[in-house]
Amino acid sequence: MKGTPYIDSTTPSEPNYRSGSSAAREVELISRIAQGDRKAFEELYGLYHRRLARFLTRLTRRYDVAEEVINDTFYIVWRKAGDFRGDSQPSTWILGIAYRKARNAFRSSSRILAVENPEIPPPLLTSDESIRSEELRDWLVQALVQLPIEQRLAVELCYELGYSCEEISTIMSCPVNTVKTRLFHARAKLQKLLPALGGTAPTDNGGRTRSEGKR
Amino acid sequence: MIATGDSASHEAAWRALPWLANGRISQAERDKIEPHVQTCHACREELAFQRLLCNTLTQPDRVTYAPGPSFRKLMDRIDGTPQPRKTRERNNTVVGPPIARKFSKVSLWRPPGLAWAASFVLAIALGGIVTTAYRSSLPLYTTHTDTAVGTSSVLHIAFDRSVTIGAAEEVLRSTGARIVEGPDSTGIFGVTPDNLDAGKSAARMSREMHVLSTRLRADPRVRWVEPIPEENSAGSAQAQTSRGS
Repeated sequence: MKGTPYIDSTTPSEPNYRSGSSAAREVELISRIAQGDRKAFEELYGLYHRRLARFLTRLTRRYDVAEEVINDTFYIVWRKAGDFRGDSQPSTWILGIAYRKARNAFRSSSRILAVENPEIPPPLLTSDESIRSEELRDWLVQALVQLPIEQRLAVELCYELGYSCEEISTIMSCPVNTVKTRLFHARAKLQKLLPALGGTAPTDNGGRTRSEGKR
Repeated sequence: MIATGDSASHEAAWRALPWLANGRISQAERDKIEPHVQTCHACREELAFQRLLCNTLTQPDRVTYAPGPSFRKLMDRIDGTPQPRKTRERNNTVVGPPIARKFSKVSLWRPPGLAWAASFVLAIALGGIVTTAYRSSLPLYTTHTDTAVGTSSVLHIAFDRSVTIGAAEEVLRSTGARIVEGPDSTGIFGVTPDNLDAGKSAARMSREMHVLSTRLRADPRVRWVEPIPEENSAGSAQAQTSRGS
């Protein structure tokens, strides 16, 4: 372990990948990659690796699988950079490739850990905000594993990566209404899987039991 | 219970709430649903839940991965550099300097019939003898990390290969450890006590490192813990050996 530590858990810095300046920079990088510029490729890889690693390890629970998907994705980026015409944001294009690779990995690989215990213990009640928040996250991650892969991906793209409905529809190559429907069903399932979440979370609803909003 | 608005507007608002929560809703859609959300108790509760989901899923992880090692693997793939293990298993070609490739051509010759089987058995036997001799010449304990890095403030550990990311995080949390280095190409992490304070005395720090190493060794999910040079090196070596590393 010589040189710079590979892990920096104290200063996570997500690039503001949806900002206009960031998108313009990424378009420039893709253009240089199309000319075989390896420095540009390394820079773009660095911009996306942490984001994709987090997104994919949460989905697969396995970093080695996530790493394979990331590298499969950027292998395509390297080969197809010349085909990128800027019809969509660079992040939408790259996430679209990653989405298809992740979906294929799920469908073809038996290495993805199966859900062994559908019973999810509720998070502990604690007054420590940071611990409670961490427990909620762990609990939520376990709950996400229970969702069908398409719904899980939609949840991650919306809540974690913060994409708009239209962007998710581009990434997942499906109509906007399909995205909304997938999230609608995912939300309903999460509510069933996380019955105590509303009561233990620092919400502004006073800890009341949440309804599903149906008449 | 829904205070105002018809069923259609409630349905539309309900389906759009995730993007109201993550801030990526279009202005037109926001203008359309916000009047309903402001007066609908169920939608307001759901919006609070959606915001909680966003906040929870965007918290920084305890473990993040640096891109360097993965990027090097990708570039090897792009450059067509064969992966050693896959090459042996699938292509049966020799990877190495030209001299190795030159000699690899010899392996294309195949002895016929029983001679081939005898050659195979002989090769296995020779391989066993060489391996045994090699192992006997090795010291009982070797370290895989740079000893210069292994100061008293960092422990080097390796998780069992079956341990998931979530389980590894749980190990860190339960033992009070924080990752400060790694993983390197062999999967070794550098950890410190999560309450490590530079102002602590050397003796106190050494004791905390000892406590942390003891906790980590007691966890079956941790396969290997680098011994602490300053303290209980004999015990560390014993624990190391008992894990079969």
